[in-house]
Amino acid sequence: MEYISLFVKSIFVDNMIFAYFLGMCSYLAVSKNVKTANGLGIAVIAMLIITLPLNYLLNKFVLSPGALSWLGDKFAGVDLSFLSFILFIAVIAAFTQVVEMVVEKFLPALYSSLGIYLPLIAVNCAILGGSLFMQQREFGNIGEAAVYALGSGIGWWLAIVALAAIREKLSYSNVPAGLKGIGITFITVGLMGIAFMAFMGISL
Amino acid sequence: MNAKMKETILNPILKGNPITVLVLGICSSLAVTVELKGALVMALSVIVVCGMSSLICSLLRKTIPNRVRIIIQLVVVAMMVILVDQLLKSFEGTYPLDKQLSVYIGLIITNCIVMGRIEAFALGNKPIPSLLDGIANGVGYGLILIIVAFFRELFGSGTLFGIPVLSALGYTNNGLMILPPMALILIGCIIWVQRSIQKDLQEN
Amino acid sequence: MNTNSNVYTVIYTTVVCVLVAAILALVSSSLKPKQDANEKAETISQILTAAQFGEKSEWQAKGNAAVLDFYKQNVAQAILIDGSGKKVGELSTADATVYGKSELKAQNYNVKDGKGMKLPVYIFKNGVSVVPVYGAGLWGPVWGYIALGSDLKTISGAYFDHESETPGLGGKIKDDPAFRAQFKGKSIDFNDKAAFSIVKGGAPAGKANAIDAISGATMTSRGLDEAINVWLGAYKAYLTKNPEE
Repeated sequence: MEYISLFVKSIFVDNMIFAYFLGMCSYLAVSKNVKTANGLGIAVIAMLIITLPLNYLLNKFVLSPGALSWLGDKFAGVDLSFLSFILFIAVIAAFTQVVEMVVEKFLPALYSSLGIYLPLIAVNCAILGGSLFMQQREFGNIGEAAVYALGSGIGWWLAIVALAAIREKLSYSNVPAGLKGIGITFITVGLMGIAFMAFMGISL
Repeated sequence: MNAKMKETILNPILKGNPITVLVLGICSSLAVTVELKGALVMALSVIVVCGMSSLICSLLRKTIPNRVRIIIQLVVVAMMVILVDQLLKSFEGTYPLDKQLSVYIGLIITNCIVMGRIEAFALGNKPIPSLLDGIANGVGYGLILIIVAFFRELFGSGTLFGIPVLSALGYTNNGLMILPPMALILIGCIIWVQRSIQKDLQEN
Repeated sequence: MNTNSNVYTVIYTTVVCVLVAAILALVSSSLKPKQDANEKAETISQILTAAQFGEKSEWQAKGNAAVLDFYKQNVAQAILIDGSGKKVGELSTADATVYGKSELKAQNYNVKDGKGMKLPVYIFKNGVSVVPVYGAGLWGPVWGYIALGSDLKTISGAYFDHESETPGLGGKIKDDPAFRAQFKGKSIDFNDKAAFSIVKGGAPAGKANAIDAISGATMTSRGLDEAINVWLGAYKAYLTKNPEE
């Protein structure tokens, strides 16, 4: 039951985009049409669900204060948490390379439409942010971390597909010149954010 | 100072502003603009990280193997961010801020502005111009951050830098301003103003 | 030198990584004392705020030295007790040693197991005793300090902190002075089903050992409620044994 509530909460209440505004750059840049948005969203889900549990294990057995005690009592006092950023990002960068190779081989159409944004997933704040939040929230086991990763990824995917759908329709509207393109997108995302706040009061 | 240097410094503040024109570095700019103090610390941190990382990468640019280019950049940026974070934790005045900004300081690593400027400028230019470019982009970013934070703190809490301004006049705080979506809408408005003045930036 | 050869790439990457790790380790270890000092002052200012010696923001403005001085001048003793209420140790008041978040986290495992506990009680010269509590909120740990009067039953104040509760909702346990103010004048009642309750929908009027939960933050409120009750349970032997401290 706890897993389900964690899952639903990660999608809606703690939505990566609308609650924490992580992953904005690629979110705004790749949301011009639904097809590419869909592809990027799924890539983000894949990245989160691979890297977050891995980083959870890294955190538990290497990084947290006293985590190295499995090597021997001598290491129980070692605190490597200052290396967290670098190690998390290294894991993420490595797997971005792997995902890029897989997509290039099996989904070439998606690969060419995503262009530079596929390698940019390595610096997508949502992926690193997910790992950093995981570290802060001290999940009890890898199952919770995995559920959180899946939920966060789906939340991000949902947000980008929704925005792409709106932007496709907006291109037919009469937007003032100064606001056309990125300006109206910002305001739209802001309004969507306010709408998502409706989920904040829900207790699961 | 020759014309090229001047352009390197002035461009990122207006015409090439990383947030409003290049649409980079959005994530952190939303979360830390609730109050001016946080925005200022974040802006200064980004200026330092961006400037120093650009400088170091430019110094190393002829030695970096092409295949691991992104990884080396990430390692340099991550190192600078960790140094800034460690310094913020050490000083009394900035310690409480570091607690508040914790996840977002870590996210400077993935702040697209830093990596973006290294790729676009530092790797192809000499150290001093790269340092200036990094600093200037940090300043352009910081400028937007401070404008947004100004409005959010003033109308959301009635204070500026913690000093009661509007609240002293009996103003009731606009709670919506404190919420992140407002930052997006404010940036949208800033873009609107900027593009109405600089018509060549308008999209169609 | 061919910068794209495999050998060069591997050596370069290794050298950069080793260099960076060395720089970071050096900086981190040399700055650690300062960081620990900040953390200590933060903990003490939270204890002082709970004990009603001033507001947290005031202590933050006064600075670390003032916080430590005030604590050293006003604390009578800082003892460690075990599950049976017996004193098993002492924390140096001359050094202003206190149990920070990581020590509380470690003790939380003992509290949950019901054995091996070494829990701090900060006893001030004016008769106020402060006890910490620690537990799980919605997204991460919540912890805090409850200040008790000389009868060890009446609450004179409280302060709470959290790591990742939602700002504006669960975050209110820390940011909303009105939430904390509810604790003043309430009391702990070990004869009741729950020694202290944070009640969703509002505490019954006149009930001395209950306060209102935060609306919209049911899970955080529940987590804090549990943290308070579990830890007060661990302190029960001590608190009921010495009614006239």
